[in-house]
Amino acid sequence: MTTMDHTCNDCKFYLPLDVFQGICKISKEKILPDDPFCKEASRLPKCKFCLHYTEERDFLGKCKEILLAYPDMPASKCSDFEWAQQN
Amino acid sequence: MDEKTNETVNYYGKHPDAVIGNREQKPSPSHRAAAARELYFEARSSASMEFPYWYTRRWDELEGEIPVIRRAEALKAGFSHLTPTIYPGELLAMGKAAYLRGSYPMPWLSEAFFMAAEDKFYQEALESGKLTADTFTTMGTGGGNVTQSVGKVISIAGKFGLRVEEMPVMIEVAKRWKDKSVDDVGHKYEQMVPGYKEKEAIMRSVICMFDSGYTLPQGREVINFYYPLQYGIEGIRQICDKSIAEVAGKPGMDRLYFFQAVRIMLEGLQAWIRNYAEEASLLAGLEKDPAQKEEYEEMSERLHWISSNRPRNFHDALQLIWTIHVAVLNEDAISGLSPGRVGQVLFPYWNRDIKAGILDRDKSIELLECMRMKFTEIDCFASMGVVGGVLSGNTFNNLCLGGLTKEGNSAANELEMLILEAGIRCDTPQPTLTMLYDEKLPEEFLLKGVECTKIGTGYPAWVSNQVAMEFLLKNYGHEGMTLEEARAWSIGGCLETSPGSWMPLELDGEIHWIPGGSAPATSVGVHFISLPKILEVVLFDGMDMRTGERIFQPHGYTLSSYEELWKAFQQYFSEAVNVLTLTNNIQHDAWRKISPSLVNSMLKPDCLTSGRDIGQMGSRYNTTFNVETTGTANLVNSLASLKLNVYDEKHYSLNEYREAILANFGYKTAKETGSFSLLDQIPNEHYDTWKKIHKRSADAPKYGNDNPYVDRIFHEWERWFCDMTHDYRSLYDQPLYACQISVSTHGPMGAVTLASADGRLAGTTFSDASMSAYPGTDKNGPYALFNSATCWDHSDSQNSQLNLKVHPTAVKGREGSRKFLELIRAYLRKGGFHVQFNVVDSRMLKEAQKNPDQYRGLMVRVAGFTQYWVELGKQIQDEVIARTEYEEI
Repeated sequence: MTTMDHTCNDCKFYLPLDVFQGICKISKEKILPDDPFCKEASRLPKCKFCLHYTEERDFLGKCKEILLAYPDMPASKCSDFEWAQQN
Repeated sequence: MDEKTNETVNYYGKHPDAVIGNREQKPSPSHRAAAARELYFEARSSASMEFPYWYTRRWDELEGEIPVIRRAEALKAGFSHLTPTIYPGELLAMGKAAYLRGSYPMPWLSEAFFMAAEDKFYQEALESGKLTADTFTTMGTGGGNVTQSVGKVISIAGKFGLRVEEMPVMIEVAKRWKDKSVDDVGHKYEQMVPGYKEKEAIMRSVICMFDSGYTLPQGREVINFYYPLQYGIEGIRQICDKSIAEVAGKPGMDRLYFFQAVRIMLEGLQAWIRNYAEEASLLAGLEKDPAQKEEYEEMSERLHWISSNRPRNFHDALQLIWTIHVAVLNEDAISGLSPGRVGQVLFPYWNRDIKAGILDRDKSIELLECMRMKFTEIDCFASMGVVGGVLSGNTFNNLCLGGLTKEGNSAANELEMLILEAGIRCDTPQPTLTMLYDEKLPEEFLLKGVECTKIGTGYPAWVSNQVAMEFLLKNYGHEGMTLEEARAWSIGGCLETSPGSWMPLELDGEIHWIPGGSAPATSVGVHFISLPKILEVVLFDGMDMRTGERIFQPHGYTLSSYEELWKAFQQYFSEAVNVLTLTNNIQHDAWRKISPSLVNSMLKPDCLTSGRDIGQMGSRYNTTFNVETTGTANLVNSLASLKLNVYDEKHYSLNEYREAILANFGYKTAKETGSFSLLDQIPNEHYDTWKKIHKRSADAPKYGNDNPYVDRIFHEWERWFCDMTHDYRSLYDQPLYACQISVSTHGPMGAVTLASADGRLAGTTFSDASMSAYPGTDKNGPYALFNSATCWDHSDSQNSQLNLKVHPTAVKGREGSRKFLELIRAYLRKGGFHVQFNVVDSRMLKEAQKNPDQYRGLMVRVAGFTQYWVELGKQIQDEVIARTEYEEI
């Protein structure tokens, strides 16, 4: 996965307003969660970016091969999070 | 008939003017609050899976652990993993979830309702009648509701949006709670209650609205902020540490686990608050505007401080109580967690800051407006039948003003005046406001309340302090309630009289006795019984003629006299209350075993001293279960019509009434007309057959006109109802009491009820509240209505509820304000408990129904709550429009 595949709701500067839209913490503009990454963007830790995550089917996977997980789960507060690929 | 619009308007007094009347002008909110409100209008109700995912993951990891510890660890995991979100311009941070109007499902309570319709769980739930109310509720289609799935967003229960990428994990997490949730476990055991099948039939017929034992196990109570204000979070942890050392190994071992559980939970709260502090710091680092940067830095510092310490000033204190309020909301599906008498709780901090020059009036109002926005952003994730049909999407955070001090003097203060001012300038549904009216309150304060009521938001409601105190002494006297303690009461939820206690807040060496809630939810029990539906089923000997299902066994009466009719009604009503009380007790028992309260328990006197959570009766007062009813005026009016037309004057037989009811008096149904208001119903081809009986029914004496014929019936109903509830025992082995508020149930319950003998037509909404007249039938003015409403002792019931609609011109100007206050006083002095107002031209509401986009900010008072018009279901909109509008008072 490259940053070209990432969207605004993968970015740590995305402030979700609701499920339809959010605000960019840098530009203060309204943006959509599925808009593509801009040059200012930086990945938010999420399960799908974690070394310990394996995908099983659409939108579901496993954490450390045992625990239920899902790809878009924010993981910045997860003590086990490790980047699978560096930014 | 209105000349401009050719539409029917129920009114009393002068004929409405041609021009639609507007409410009085009011000052605007601060720029900051106005911007926050615009953002709120843009935001939709959104659900996320963060909290329930981590809660469930940690719960699963701890199989075999002591249940309350397991619960604490799961809460800690949920709180500490929540993504912090801080919106531009906020002065108060923290929210339930990572969206502005965020919430999340709690499958540990119930997993059924949000599963896909074709899912097996949903079919099973529908079979048992749990979800029947959902199919008769019309959720408001405008405003912040996500009514339909669109794009990558799925609509849940017609209100909440969920990102499609979170749907599979929602289902997977829900499945982990199958057979383990409070709902499922409660359901397993409630089937052991004799007569359980009757309970299922009662639920399917919507004679009872919902199972409150697990759907909303907390709320309709008043929070207590004393412990965090007095000790700080770290101080409460030290109390737990000390208590652990005192009780470990000694008899009463559950106390050890409780204190340890609270300690663990607090670690989660602290992590949660510190995550927000870090986010504020991040935002400060990104911010280029110096003023905003400084605000973020101050916010970060404040959040770090309150994550451990007592507040230093008013802003700290407000941030802390807001944080604690959200924390309680996050531990359960809660509606009606009232902040209580916040103006009196925070007055010591505010007064000190004002005197020290740290704060001024304008800054205070700005902070209070921010507080209003935060409360308005609260959302509650529950099934559509509960969220839409009962709550109309409202969360009932009731802030009370006035009342008396511990010593019996006026408790009104300057901060409360500013709270009213903020409510005027920044009119939002939350927190709703209630004036605890007492003769000792200053005139200036009361007129400020009237000024606020006049802007048309529906708040403050006005309640009688004396009537409430009498109820508390009657209901809680055996638990040690005294006159002094009764003065600490406040309203929980929309209108639930809730006991409080005085707690000694120390500030600068001085003790300030602050009021706060000291009981768990004061409205768990039988919710709600449809009185007109019970009468309908009596007439058809136990059958629900809408569905063809038998609900009760034949009552055995021939109904040859009015006395027999009344006895049959009492019999069916009692049967319903009996089986619902027993099943609710089991559901609530499952709740307290599986999902005990920890955050709220920590706060309530005397849990931290007794070492027991609220489910184990750790709080000071526990006589808190009730029986709620809906459709009082329709019941009373129907009984009066039958008494007159069948038994006294013998114009018709009961069989003729049965036929007329089944024929809907020759009208199309509400479903066919698309309107739930009596005003809009259309005759069908059989109208001529039934028009005479319909006219006699409609002309029969109606409640609300000071007519002894019908008021005697009303009095008999109230006396009997208030007494009979005491015959039933709660889970805590305490007697139940009567509660008489409709919230929004008069909509969906009316939708499933046939025509009634008072002339009401099939499917139309019942009368609102409990003391309100049926729309258009109160023809003798408000004082006649007051006489009818006060023919019984309101202190025998937890509450009574009266809605009045007043045209803006009737209360215009200073003279209008004084007349308005005299009107309120007249009712409360006669013994009325509660009155609340819509100050609005009904025709504006009709316009708003047609053009909702032009009325996004319009709010109305329904029954105990204020809600945005566009977020109300059509059943309730039609009912509010139909209410009698007083053109003069």
